[in-house]
Order: sequence, then C-alpha cells, then structure tokens
Amino acid sequence: MNNPLPEPFAHLTPYRSWALSTEDARMRRRISASMSEITDYYQTLLPEIDPIAKHLDQWPLAELPAEQKPLLYLAMMFMETAMCVEFFFDPDVPEALGAEHIELYAGRSEQLVNS
Amino acid sequence: MNNSTRPFADIYPEIGTGPVSTAPAVDPAFFEREREKIFRKMWVNMILREEDLPNPGDYFVRDIEVLDASVIVVRGDDGKLRALHNVCTHRGNRLVRDESGSCNGFQCDFHGWVFNNQGELAFVTDEQRFHHLDKPSLGLAKVHLDTWRGFIFVNFEETPSQSLEASMADFNQDLKPFPFENMVLAGRYRYETNANWKTTMNAFQESYHAAFVHKRSVRQCLEDDGDPYLASQRIKLQPNGNQSISVHVPPHDLTPTEMIAYGMGATFTQGGDGNVNSFPGTAQAQIENWAFDLNIMFPFSRINVGAGWYYVDAFWPVAHDRTVYELAFYFPMPTSAGAMISQEYSKIVLRDLSREDLFTNEVTHNALRSGAIKSIQLSDQEIAVRHQYEKVTEFCR
Repeated sequence: MNNPLPEPFAHLTPYRSWALSTEDARMRRRISASMSEITDYYQTLLPEIDPIAKHLDQWPLAELPAEQKPLLYLAMMFMETAMCVEFFFDPDVPEALGAEHIELYAGRSEQLVNS
Repeated sequence: MNNSTRPFADIYPEIGTGPVSTAPAVDPAFFEREREKIFRKMWVNMILREEDLPNPGDYFVRDIEVLDASVIVVRGDDGKLRALHNVCTHRGNRLVRDESGSCNGFQCDFHGWVFNNQGELAFVTDEQRFHHLDKPSLGLAKVHLDTWRGFIFVNFEETPSQSLEASMADFNQDLKPFPFENMVLAGRYRYETNANWKTTMNAFQESYHAAFVHKRSVRQCLEDDGDPYLASQRIKLQPNGNQSISVHVPPHDLTPTEMIAYGMGATFTQGGDGNVNSFPGTAQAQIENWAFDLNIMFPFSRINVGAGWYYVDAFWPVAHDRTVYELAFYFPMPTSAGAMISQEYSKIVLRDLSREDLFTNEVTHNALRSGAIKSIQLSDQEIAVRHQYEKVTEFCR
C-alpha cells in the first residue's frame, strides 16, 4: 500500500495518497481536503516540482515507467493546491458554480499516461 | 470622430447606445422563436475535431437537447465522416447509448436491427416476416456535416441556407491560419447552470468583469493602476453576429507556481511574448500585451486562441432557463512530464476561472425574471453583449 516512492523522492512517501491518476480525482480530493492539509502539501511540494520534472524528463512521457507515475501525479496535484494557497485561501473556489455541477473528461496526455 | 474612451460605438453606430431590453433573456416565448429561427438553422460546433475520430468505426454521440436531437458522428469504413440521427429506423428507438467508441456497426437493443458505420441498414432480424422492407432507404437519417480547419460542425436544416465556410465569414481570414493541428485535447469540462444561454454567455463577452469576478483568481493581472478594468483594445463585430474580442494582460509578477509552470511551457495568463509571427490567426500584432482572442461564432460557440494554446467552448441552450457550458482546452501534445505538469496549471486556472464566471449567471437570471428591471445598461466595453441582443432580436423577427 505505502510502497516507497522512487529515489530521490522517497521522503515524499507520506504524501502518496495524493498521487491520484486523473484530473477529476485530484480536483475532488482538493475540494474535500482541509486548508491546513493543502497548505502543508503545497509547502512540502513547492521546492520539489522542478526536481521531479527534471527527474521524470529522463523518459519520454509515453515511456514513463509505472513506478515513476506517482511522482507525476503528485506534481499535478500540487497545481491544484497552488490555486488554493496562492489565490483562494480556501480549498474550493469561493463564489463559484458548485463542483457538483461539473464533469471532467480526460485529455490525450492523461489517457496516454494512464493507458 | 473617434472617441478614445468609447471607441467602438463610433465604429458600429448601427448598434446604438441605449438601454437593452431584458425580455430576450427571460421570456420563454422568445426562446421558442430562437429555437426555430436560429438554433435549427445554424451550423452547430460539435466541440470535436477530425483527429478525435482517426480510424474507421470511431464515433462520438452528442445530444443537442434544444433540438431534441441525438447525433452520431462516425468515420465510416470508406474513411468519410458522417453525422447520423441516433434513431433506429425500425421503431424509433435510441440506437447508441455510449458516449463514444469504435465499432463496425450499431445494433439496436430493441429488436436487433444492425446499421453499418456508414449508416446503411445492414441486417434485419427475422427479416422474412416483414412485408415490404425497402432496406436501401432505411439507413439512419442523415444530418449535414462539414469541417472547418478540422472542427466538426453539423446542420439540421433540410438544405443549409448557407455553407459553413460562408457562416465563418471574417474568421476565414482572421482565424484560419492558427496552427490548430499542432495541438491536442488537454482537458474537457462540462458545467450545468440554471440560466438563459445569453445571460450565461454575456459573462464571457467582455473584460470589464475581471476586476470583480476574478479578483482572487487572477489578482496579479489586475494591479495596473492605469488599466484596472483591462479595457479591450480590439472588438470586431460582424454583420452575421460573429464577434472577436482581444484580451490583454498587463505585465505582472508571477506566483511561485506560475514561475514553475511558465518555465516548462506556455501558461494561460503569461502569453504573448515572442515575435509577432509566433501566433498567426491572432490579433497579437495589433494589441499591446496581447493575451488571447475570444472568437464567437454566432450564436453560442467560440474558438479562443492564445499564445501556445486554444480552447473551444459552447453555451448550449437547453431551455429558456437552462444552459450547459462545455469547454475543451488544447495544448501541444506533451512529450515530457514537465510539459504535462505545466499544462495542468493552466487547465486548473481556466477551470477555476470558468466557475467564477458561471456563478453570477443563475443569480442574475433569477433577478431579471423578477421583472424589477426591464432593461440593462451597457458600456462601450460591453458592446459585444449589445450586438448579441441586437442580432438575436433581428433574426427572431
């Protein structure tokens, strides 16, 4: 369950449950999380995104090994939390159409990575 | 004489400057006229591209609720794209229930009739018990289909009153050169809202609202004291109702996350750099701090082009007080994880911004229905809203 994440990012293993494979799941996770969880996640991941991207860019996206994919998902989850911390000060978008009225569909790259 | 603070009324004097009636937005009878005089006659942007259906047998199903229609768009074994009514010619059952897929043909789940992927009736179960079946004439009913720069459009008129090319009008020069083929679907969103389609769309037709509706999400872009309302420098209105509005964003500091995203690709709010030939098919060369162009195909779909991305959207009318907003965002296909991570940032920004835009609509629609006000007041910056009401009213006469 809590397999360690690949080196040199094994220290992020406690955040593995945030490594969700679809944009839909990441958005739902974000809006159901607390602001303190989100802030902790954001602050921990902020300095890791560039190193994660450089590390994953060893492989063409189409050939990303399965054990590396959680790192990509963590980086994309970071982008969800960034909006909360940098703009909204809230897990969800204040004064916005409720997320229960939205459906999300995968783009090509998400289909590629998850195929 | 050109007025520098209200330049557009002088360019389009026929549109006027007075208050605009709210009746077209709230009157159910007006919606019925729109259905017959506009929606049934237009080219419908399916928010789909030819490359979404690359192989014979690939299909998508789209429900056009305002016309009570369900359409199958399918690439046949002959390589041709067709639009077919999703209605079995036996007893009228809904033929395909999946949203998309790939198949040699479609079998009805009522009595098992089979149609091939070119729409022809291929097989009838227990056929010998029918009396005079004229199978060649019992293919699926066709809907006109045409493409423009790879975008798939359909038309429900018996004979379309004008070609798709003609209905694109000035976009054939202004937008056609954009490199759509270099980009692929990065994300697709569908939002349901309880408001008239025009009220919904009006929140997306000017920049004036940004300082309030988007005061949180793009705060960093709203700090130019000389330009607090991001007044549009270019609004082009066409006689057939098409519109193009250029949006600019002043130079601004990037947040830590946008710095990361911008380091690995183009972002939603940080565009327009590079030389003026970078983005053909846009107004980049004409606009200071150009960010993107909103290109509205009358009545309710758009192809919005930016610096390294584009998005296509539609404000699907469902009923006089119900609208579905659908948005598809396109970026170059990422070949590296870094590019994909960067694109995720812009997808989330646009998704969250859209939700802010859609928040005002339901409240506004209900307020207009109260009858408390009979007209709305529109500034020169909101001339595209004025133009839309004028054209809708003209075509519904």
